[in-house]
Amino acid sequence: MSENKKRATRTNRTSVKKLVTDAATYIIIAIFAALFLFPIYWTFITSIKMQADTFTSKFLPFFQFEPTLRGWIGQLQAAENFKALLNSTIIGVSSAALATFLGSMAGYGLARFNFRRFFKNADIISWFLSLRIMPPIALALPFYALMLNLGVIDTHPAVILIHTAFFMPYAVLVTRDAFKSLPIEIEESALIDGCSRHQLFFRIALPLIAPALAAIYIIIFAFSWNEFLFAYVLTNKVAVTMPVYIAGTVTTVGVLFDVLSVRAIITILPPVIIGLLVQRYIISGLTMGAVKG
Amino acid sequence: MRHERIKYLFLLPPVAYVLALVLFPLGSAIATSFTDARFGAIESRFVGLRNYITPFNDYRFYNSVYVTLLFVGLIVPLELGLGLLLALLMNRDIRGRGLIRIILTVPLFVSPIAFALMGQVIFYEGGGGINGILKDLGLPALRWRSHPQTAIFTVVLADIWMWTPFAFLIILAGLQSLPKYLLEAAKVDGASSAQLFRHITLPLLIPTLLTVLFFRIVDTLRLFEIPFTLLGGGGPGITTETLTVNIYKVGFRGFFFGQAAAMSFIYLGLVTVIMSLLLYRVRKYYVGE
Repeated sequence: MSENKKRATRTNRTSVKKLVTDAATYIIIAIFAALFLFPIYWTFITSIKMQADTFTSKFLPFFQFEPTLRGWIGQLQAAENFKALLNSTIIGVSSAALATFLGSMAGYGLARFNFRRFFKNADIISWFLSLRIMPPIALALPFYALMLNLGVIDTHPAVILIHTAFFMPYAVLVTRDAFKSLPIEIEESALIDGCSRHQLFFRIALPLIAPALAAIYIIIFAFSWNEFLFAYVLTNKVAVTMPVYIAGTVTTVGVLFDVLSVRAIITILPPVIIGLLVQRYIISGLTMGAVKG
Repeated sequence: MRHERIKYLFLLPPVAYVLALVLFPLGSAIATSFTDARFGAIESRFVGLRNYITPFNDYRFYNSVYVTLLFVGLIVPLELGLGLLLALLMNRDIRGRGLIRIILTVPLFVSPIAFALMGQVIFYEGGGGINGILKDLGLPALRWRSHPQTAIFTVVLADIWMWTPFAFLIILAGLQSLPKYLLEAAKVDGASSAQLFRHITLPLLIPTLLTVLFFRIVDTLRLFEIPFTLLGGGGPGITTETLTVNIYKVGFRGFFFGQAAAMSFIYLGLVTVIMSLLLYRVRKYYVGE
């Protein structure tokens, strides 16, 4: 009897303890989730407020303030927004394609061959990795001078060229990882069947890592879309990307917060949506394959 | 298969591309850094090491080095700590884990400039945003962007918002790939959760934590968008003027190309010294041979 009672109190105590830690866990996580959503929520409700309401702390549409789509309609009719969106898309799509293609060549080379003559594989990998350390400002100035001499300042290629170089190391390291995880037997038997190396690469190896390629392509697209310093230095009117364009509006629209917030939301929407699409690959994409998701 | 010459063909295009676009401009910048080159000037003279000495007589340069290192010192430990805390909480058997993961993925893809714009609204000092909420709660308003110390805090908060999710997601992935049998065995042997964490989880997590540390230090050393846009070029005054902001102003506002190039190389040297030790430790997770 007393034995039973003792066991009962013990299970009671552990279940109470579990209940308390569970509750604490949920509360802490809920607080953090709210804090992380706050800036986006606040920006969104500011974008549907009347201008006078943007200086108030009202945060419940319909209950506390009458929402309006005036800011959105005004901004969606402005040609400048579309020009910047188009520039960002052209630059993002092209530099992601170039970086993924060139990067996957190096990735395949490093995954499938041993380099010994001049540099070892490990040295080449470290070299690509060390490019990640380079501060962009150290490159921005000489690159600006180079583009100035070539006469291509304020054109898409100027930004595409540097974005490709800057984000290629991600593609190298991630695709190398993906190629390494492919069973080598497939390629060996294809070689025996008389397949050449480049056929092997284009027809067999690349299609086999298509999911990883798509993921790193999308991640580099988002990086390029969000990149500010190079785009800011290299463009001024014709080829301005979305971040460059909205950085400029801070001085031109001042405290027209409805305008600011519509533009902020338009800017973050495309990369955030595609970020959610590649959930499974985000971690290896962001750590260049060091940590698997 | 190992001695094919074709292997060089796979490496040549990407390596040549990077050499042409990164190392060639850097090489020409070395030459520029020894001249008094300015935008629009027809000729530039060789000035020896002058551009490399000037920054060391300039309080503004010291200030920007200090500001940069201060941000690294404040931001990186906070993000690592918060990320670890959140990851440990989420590693428990709780409901809604997928949803929280999605919420915490969003900031990773928000453009820093868009966040700086959102910051204009949220940190607006005359009402609305945080100050409006503080007022509703009967608390005093804070001078988020106009008071020196508070401005530093604003930058730290913004960076924590943008990058704690990175630390969290990667540490969580690290936690979930730990060998479960080790933890189970220790639990059977009667280890407390504190002991489990101290003696099993933490040591096994070191590689993951190093990876996070590496990326966060690299990116914090180049902090630019938030001080530059949200705080109007590293303001108030120069209290949030990081090295990148400082060099940007010298190069693209003052157009002292030679001076800015020299400062970039001093900066590059600083970053290389700080990172090479860490890179050496992190390298083995990439090489994997």
